[in-house]
Amino acid sequence: MDTITTKLSSEEIFSLMKQFITEVIGEEFVEEMDITPESSFTKDLEMDSIEIVSFSEKIKAHFGDQIDFTGWLSSMDLDQLINLNLGMIISYIEECQS
Amino acid sequence: MSKFLFVVPPFFGHISPTLSIGASLLARGHEVKWLGITPLAKVHLPEGGEFIYPEEDLAEYADEIQRILKRQDDGPTCSGPEVMKLALEETYVPFAKMMMKGLNNLVDAWKPDVMINDCITFAGALSAHLKGIPSVTTTPVPPDVMGDTANSAPKIFEWQQNLIKGLQREVGIYSDDIHIHSHKLNMVFTSQAFAGFEEKPPHMHFVGPVKGRPNLAPFDWERLSKATTPKVFVSLGTLLVDIRKEFFQKLINAFENQPVTIVAATNPDIFEKWPDNFIVNGFVPQSELMPQMDAVICHGGFNTVNDTFTNGLPMLITPIAYDHFHTAKLIEQAGCGVSIRYKRLRISDLRNTVFELLENPKYRQAAQKIKETFIEAGGNDKAVQLLEDFAEVHRVVDFDSPLA
Repeated sequence: MDTITTKLSSEEIFSLMKQFITEVIGEEFVEEMDITPESSFTKDLEMDSIEIVSFSEKIKAHFGDQIDFTGWLSSMDLDQLINLNLGMIISYIEECQS
Repeated sequence: MSKFLFVVPPFFGHISPTLSIGASLLARGHEVKWLGITPLAKVHLPEGGEFIYPEEDLAEYADEIQRILKRQDDGPTCSGPEVMKLALEETYVPFAKMMMKGLNNLVDAWKPDVMINDCITFAGALSAHLKGIPSVTTTPVPPDVMGDTANSAPKIFEWQQNLIKGLQREVGIYSDDIHIHSHKLNMVFTSQAFAGFEEKPPHMHFVGPVKGRPNLAPFDWERLSKATTPKVFVSLGTLLVDIRKEFFQKLINAFENQPVTIVAATNPDIFEKWPDNFIVNGFVPQSELMPQMDAVICHGGFNTVNDTFTNGLPMLITPIAYDHFHTAKLIEQAGCGVSIRYKRLRISDLRNTVFELLENPKYRQAAQKIKETFIEAGGNDKAVQLLEDFAEVHRVVDFDSPLA
């Protein structure tokens, strides 16, 4: 798959992440959630490991090798994983793009 | 004849297989005791066995034990990493510390030949190590539920190691090796094929499901015999009290007036009225009931999973927390059922999946294959043989005895 080389703004990354989340967990479950950059990945979005894997795959398919999302996740300790929110993912993707 | 001591946690799913093996050991003439951190009702105990709850040695922890038990209700609302913390740091490690005193006292007084600790009840293996008694571990769930953290999540691996080594130092074991499980014999109550292990460590033995623990729960067999539609057994296990009502409401919405008979194991008090095609009992004779069923719905409690595939039935698994997700993955890999995560469970999917399981023979065929691997694993006979051989090989010479 072609990788996107144009830099995305944080708003664009946010809406892309929302799209991925919707694809992974299903529209009707997303409707009940208020997704914001503060949304915690595991607590608010209630993503389990299988869903996180398919979310990672979507990031990989979209951004290609410029972003090692799985590697980034695996370097975290438990508290970092518990506190992981969408905003942190957006900043990480922004950093990788620069 | 040998003296076997089981060391168990306050969770019935983990105690249950030890009661079945204990019953077989007692029948062979061995002496068997259990030690736990909460009392166990006498009806569950095989005849001739003794359950020891060292109340005096645990007295100072009484409030803390209750708090930790209550905390388990938070499990279903916790995320994966939070559950890891809840389990290891907030439950297993503190329980192990609390159990040491009473356990060491019993070991000194009774001098068991073999100590058998459940996999989350570290005190058993730690005490055995301290006292120089041969130890065995029992594992009711398919192992490796936390995955290969050493490579995939080094910081989480380090956290686990630090917690365990901290516990070991606190009980007086100053070694860099891990002693919370037996390195010599670990009996797992499933088959190697179902657990998805291509290779296994030499000390790990997959003995398959075990049975035979006392279960005197009454049941209205006559009502069941009158049911003409396919029978679906539903269980949520003994934990997960808080979400019970919500779960069974979904079930009612999905199956009220549908051509199935739902046999549910849950306290009927949660609703005033149940639909006519629901047979609901607080406690059921599950292993006698299961051969009469056509499919099973459960969250992934391991004893129900074993009862299901022992009878070659297809399963809808709705994983909620803990190791349920790992079990769900194994079921999908084996093709003997379908997994829908509880938090993403739609009523229509619940209904459609159950009818798919009943009508499409491929699930039942895959379940039959798992059944065969369970039978080959050997069950109670294999477990008893492993334990007797282990006791024989590791018999400790009693240097205090005048004959030694």
